Amino acid sequence: MAGAQTHRLGNGGLVDRSAPLNFRFDGKAFSGFQGDTLASALIANGVKLVGRSFKYHRPRGILTAGSEEPNALVELRTGARREPNTKATTAELYDGLEAASQNRWPSLRHDVMSVNQLFAPIFVAGFYYKTFMWPAKFWEAIYEPAIRRAAGLGRAAGIADPDHYDKAWAHCDVLIAGSGPAGLAAALAAGRAGARVILCEEDFVLGGRLLSDGGMIDGEPAAEWISRTLAELAGMPDVRVMTRTTLFGVYDGGTYGAIERVNDHLPSPPEHQVRQRLWRIVAKRCVVAAGAIERPIVFAGNDTPGVMMASAMRTYVARYAATPAKRIALFTNNEDGWRTVETALGAGLQIAAVIDARPEISPAHRSLASKGGFPVLHGSVSGVDGGKDGVRKIAVSLTGGARAEVEADGLAVSGGWNPAVGLTSYHRGRPKWRSDISAFVPDGAPPGMVAAGAANGDFGLGACLSQGFAAGAAAAHDAGRTGNAGSAPVADDEVFSLTPLWHVAGKGKAFVDYQHDVTASDIELAQREGFESVEHLKRYTTLGMATDQGKTSNVAGLAIMAAVSGRSIPETGTTIYRPPYVPVAIGAFAGHHRDGTFHATRLTPSHHWAVEQGAVFVDTGLWKRAQWYPRAGEKDWLESVTREVKAVRSGVGFCDVSTLGKIDVHGPDAGAFLDRVYINTFSNLAVGKARYGLMLREDGIVYDDGTTSRLAEDHYFLTTTTAKAGLVMQHLEFCRQVLFPELDVQLTSVSDQWAQFSIAGPSARELLKQIVDESEDLSNEGFPFMGAREVTLRGGLKARLFRISFSGEMAFEISVPARFGDAMARNLMLAGAPFGVTPYGTEALGVMRVEKGHIAGPELSGTTTAADLGLGKMMSTKKDYIGRVMAGREALVAPDRQVVVGIKPTDETRRLRSGAHIIPKGQTPGPGNDQGYVTSVCFSPTLNQWIGLALVERGRERIGEIVHAHDPLRGEDYDVELCNPVFYDPDGGRQRG
Amino acid sequence: MVEFSWVSRSPLEHALVTGTDGARGIEAGISLTEIRNFDLIQVMARRGQAAELGQAAKARFGVAVPDAPKAVRTSDATLIWSGPDQFFVLSKGGKHTMQTLEPALSGSLSDQSHARVLVSISGAKARTMLAKLSSIDLHPDAFPVGAAAATSMDHTSVTLWRGGDRTDGQAVFNVLMFATFAESLWHTMLDSGAEYGVDINHTERLA
Repeated sequence: MAGAQTHRLGNGGLVDRSAPLNFRFDGKAFSGFQGDTLASALIANGVKLVGRSFKYHRPRGILTAGSEEPNALVELRTGARREPNTKATTAELYDGLEAASQNRWPSLRHDVMSVNQLFAPIFVAGFYYKTFMWPAKFWEAIYEPAIRRAAGLGRAAGIADPDHYDKAWAHCDVLIAGSGPAGLAAALAAGRAGARVILCEEDFVLGGRLLSDGGMIDGEPAAEWISRTLAELAGMPDVRVMTRTTLFGVYDGGTYGAIERVNDHLPSPPEHQVRQRLWRIVAKRCVVAAGAIERPIVFAGNDTPGVMMASAMRTYVARYAATPAKRIALFTNNEDGWRTVETALGAGLQIAAVIDARPEISPAHRSLASKGGFPVLHGSVSGVDGGKDGVRKIAVSLTGGARAEVEADGLAVSGGWNPAVGLTSYHRGRPKWRSDISAFVPDGAPPGMVAAGAANGDFGLGACLSQGFAAGAAAAHDAGRTGNAGSAPVADDEVFSLTPLWHVAGKGKAFVDYQHDVTASDIELAQREGFESVEHLKRYTTLGMATDQGKTSNVAGLAIMAAVSGRSIPETGTTIYRPPYVPVAIGAFAGHHRDGTFHATRLTPSHHWAVEQGAVFVDTGLWKRAQWYPRAGEKDWLESVTREVKAVRSGVGFCDVSTLGKIDVHGPDAGAFLDRVYINTFSNLAVGKARYGLMLREDGIVYDDGTTSRLAEDHYFLTTTTAKAGLVMQHLEFCRQVLFPELDVQLTSVSDQWAQFSIAGPSARELLKQIVDESEDLSNEGFPFMGAREVTLRGGLKARLFRISFSGEMAFEISVPARFGDAMARNLMLAGAPFGVTPYGTEALGVMRVEKGHIAGPELSGTTTAADLGLGKMMSTKKDYIGRVMAGREALVAPDRQVVVGIKPTDETRRLRSGAHIIPKGQTPGPGNDQGYVTSVCFSPTLNQWIGLALVERGRERIGEIVHAHDPLRGEDYDVELCNPVFYDPDGGRQRG
Repeated sequence: MVEFSWVSRSPLEHALVTGTDGARGIEAGISLTEIRNFDLIQVMARRGQAAELGQAAKARFGVAVPDAPKAVRTSDATLIWSGPDQFFVLSKGGKHTMQTLEPALSGSLSDQSHARVLVSISGAKARTMLAKLSSIDLHPDAFPVGAAAATSMDHTSVTLWRGGDRTDGQAVFNVLMFATFAESLWHTMLDSGAEYGVDINHTERLA
């Protein structure tokens, strides 16, 4: 049974005492309440030590109560759901929660690596850069692994995340970040004006600082004003209030990124639900009411557990009814810090002392002190006595030089407030310095965005309400919503008098960046070593580079640098602000795009038939294509592919080639258009005929190839390679719309309209005769090689038939409307049964094209010219076409270019592999004599040996020469003979026959 | 001689399982209905002849062809804008096919009947679910009945338009997707709708 909540107040707070929740931290059982964060529940159980620091393994406690937390990072959940570096201050408590502290061994209380503290003098900024320089080879093998073991934070789960994430879009007139007084007032004004509003609140409860600080608004307590406001907003159908949602970035065109932790507050998401959702929000206007972050003061021992931000201390007491300490001291340089004293006294806690760094203290606070019976000390905290069990004694340097000691078990610190300037600065904006609050405030913002309230540097409740309301009303108006917003809520402004204090000199480590263990002396060292620029300071010391992005540390770091370098803080400047504002899980960016749905998949019309046939599929771009169709008893792919090739060469086979790009080219100028995009001529192609075409890029290099048929005077049907289908369509549209707008031509992609099958082999015609209507003449005279026309199939279906061949056999391609593709595959099997018809996949297709010397992707590599491919004669000299002029450049017509040639191993039993380099025989391989490389290889069942195609310098002039193939990747060296690339039926009799 | 049957098979025939998907025990928030075996003809004006095509189309369909991203319903067809000077004719029952439209419309016609799959999406959570797939603002004011968009879902080009409301007043969104991408996009739709519960159907009738 979990222990008692020893540090929980008897009443008050926003926790539900009727809903107790059990949880474990480092294996120990505790209990908390619904409404707790992990941090508030730990505090309620008297836990002060929650982690060990990054570099020195110093004991650390909870510093803040929000997403700026640098210390209280835990591994949340277990197994596959274990999530490292989770902030205890934002993790909502749920029943059964399990969390573990990080960066300690063997236990949090007894951490071996805390010995690092003894060596602290050498672990200064730049330690790793300076120390592990030599010998260089030690870095990867020894230094880095050792450093990684010693440093670092939590452990990743290391196994696949079982949960789902998704992504969604949202649109609004006015987007509001934050639900404090400014954010709620902005939502009210914009909503009343009739605007579509989205309000994002990081917390799981709406209200921001009002939840901790209370106050009176419109004459009623803040809590009542919040409920009344939320009720009014709930009545507006176009106002959407999103809790557990952090606005983390602003992008071009008024697009914002937000992360919604949909189910992080549950042990695991309910069935069918996602853990987190990434939002892309398109907003006409944005009001940043993200508030401000209280900043620490840097003094020796300021990282001792029990030292906490003053605002966090009163949040734990007021909102969570949890007491971080029984006897509290306050160290402040501003009026706001005193609120913690009021809250603590109200909860019956003791105040040990207030150490106020300002010269003047208000009479009201003096009388509070005398009433509460605690001293007010003018001065600064110069040291803290305490260890892993927390603060015991506080050393104070009094103004004037005397020293004092205060006994306390908690120290609340307030160094002032930094407006959250992230969102307003993400378009490389640089905030400006405001000396009255000694803080950076937004100086402009991305288009359409404005900051209001504390985010704008105006901390008073009245100012937050009026500014937020005005910003909301103006944003709605700018978005064209002109309804009556009514009047702004009214409240008094508190006094915020601050005397800047950044760093108190003292003995012992004084931390600036808690998460990265950067101390004040590290910054001084950086300055001494010349890293004065803030960007250098950041990288040299790693200040602000941890997962908290320096939310509590950056400004103090700049201030210390300013002091030691003799400049002002605004002269020292800030580093560049970049999203995300809080860490966002990669899973949220991936959404549903993982594993099998990593990307969209395209399926051919006969896909499910091929699945039934047991086909093995290969990913070709987005496509799944049948690679081969294994049969029982075949021992490997080569056996299956060899059978398929032999079946085609001796009988008939068919293959789904629907993946080719298909484009309807319409219009009276279609022929003229094709003449300009292809190197050869199409305007003179007869209706009913097909022609092979080659197109170049503007720079004269080959772009794509395919057959194009003329189906009517003003209608061509163009095909592309599978790989370039989309790109060629884009290219042709560019040509049509931009280059040749004078031509009357229209383009339509019909890639998905047609299921297209290649039917190849000596029996192809006999098989087809079974499928087409008896009236169709398929004889060589009636339908010769390169014929293209519509035919009627048995049963009346219309199809398109092309007599084209990639395999080198007598072959046809037949197209039917795609929903008949499945039936076509089945009917081809039926009709072809008497001829032993064999479906074949892309491997057999590839083997037959290599045997036939046809070029494909490996040869169309983006470096080859038409002449390199042996197609130079196709380049028309009678017309202009894209790429013609550039193809004539000296280097592209040089006689020593690498051109396509066939290769055969001199040892006929040897296997060839693509990628091997071609070297003159007898020479030692090297870059100086590299004459080309092997592009495509296959085992040719027809020749019963491996053959290939290669790009070789002057290859066509060297047919018959023996050269050397050098394959350093696979450690192979062998001789090959350069030969005619057309290994099979060089006269083409079979395909014409 | 073997007798062949030419059975039309939808690209979603394998993936679409009639019934309920995702969350159960609640009233399904999403209704997905595939409309099968429609005629879809892409019509593009010849250069400089958009006005003539518009007149011919008006004569045939009795309505003006949309000249902006909109869908217009006639008694027996829907005309959907698909780009400058071009539109789709969506119909059923062979009334508006290549054979009947080519003589009537002076333009470049291309049959897309088999190139697309048509899915109609409705239900209380239709907009919520579509927000996961589409960057288009589907708020009733921004995307009224008859609004159309040539856009993308899940990195896949689609034509999206809002049809007439259901008899219960709920909005209906029609998605015309490329046939070879359909199974993939269908699964994404199911993933996106699972938490709301999905009713799955197919029909031969155009809404």
